[in-house]
Amino acid sequence: MKTIFLGIALVCSVVAHTQFTKANLQASGLTCALCSNAINKSLQKLSFVVTVKPDIKNSSFDIVFREGNEVSIDELKNAVENAGFSVASLKITGNFENIPLQKDGYAKIGNQAFYFLNASGESLRGEKTITIVGKNFMTANTFKKYGDKLKSASSSSGKFDNAANALHVYHAIVS
Amino acid sequence: MKILKTYFLISCLALVTMSARSQAIPNITDSRLDFSLPDIKGDSLRLSTMKGRVFLLDFWASWCGPCRYSNKNLVKLYDRYKTKGFEILSVSLDDNKKEWKKAVSKDKITWLQINDSGGWEARSAAKWQVDAIPASFLIDKSGNVVAINAEKKELENKIRELLGL
Repeated sequence: MKTIFLGIALVCSVVAHTQFTKANLQASGLTCALCSNAINKSLQKLSFVVTVKPDIKNSSFDIVFREGNEVSIDELKNAVENAGFSVASLKITGNFENIPLQKDGYAKIGNQAFYFLNASGESLRGEKTITIVGKNFMTANTFKKYGDKLKSASSSSGKFDNAANALHVYHAIVS
Repeated sequence: MKILKTYFLISCLALVTMSARSQAIPNITDSRLDFSLPDIKGDSLRLSTMKGRVFLLDFWASWCGPCRYSNKNLVKLYDRYKTKGFEILSVSLDDNKKEWKKAVSKDKITWLQINDSGGWEARSAAKWQVDAIPASFLIDKSGNVVAINAEKKELENKIRELLGL
């Protein structure tokens, strides 16, 4: 009986954990990204991806993640690049369990760490969508706009890297 | 030793026939390539019934920009050769039939139009191994594929040749 309760408690705690549930990904390349099956096939090979559907209105892909699996942002990017395209925008939605966001602070989600460029002492709670900021996650023009913000951020993210045993730190904004 | 030699010869022969099979010219009457799909009115059209006509089998979708651009060329091409025996059969992979119909009228498409909803999972696309659109196959009177994704000029030359112009 005890084990059953323990089991239930364990399941509950897993469910309550912060989990990325879905993403919207825009890809760019020399040809129309939606008109080729390449990205679709490449993303579907990832173990943590359940479905990939074209979002025709926004010329992007709606990706649903497998529950309980760690979502690797780098693997998403690599899948798109292996298909011959690059990521033009990556918005990831997750259910967050009260992750504190301090100015110049970081959040660790699973095995990945995030530095939020627009953090202001709030916490991430409930369903939120974050946009990944980085050279390999947006168009060159959009990336330029973040130039100064990233410069000041990257000096501090280096410190965090050491402290957190060289976790991969992604810059992001919460929308 | 002799047995070994025979084995070697047999396996060589098998290899040659296998590769010859895979290089066989695809024909629309082959059941692996044939399909039947509804047109705008809902009447179904079977690909193999097109045998005997020179036509272009064209895969596209309303949301595919390059396909819409290609439609402009196809409209001109169709106007030039439709009375001389040339036909086009377009297969749209649109899930949204409304968008498909809208695109057909907007692009002024008057040739044969059928719909296979399901995007890349559409059976017709899978049968023809279509992995990117637009994708086109020029078919001769005997139902054989004679050109795949031919460029504008090359396509027109081929059509003229097949029509004996």
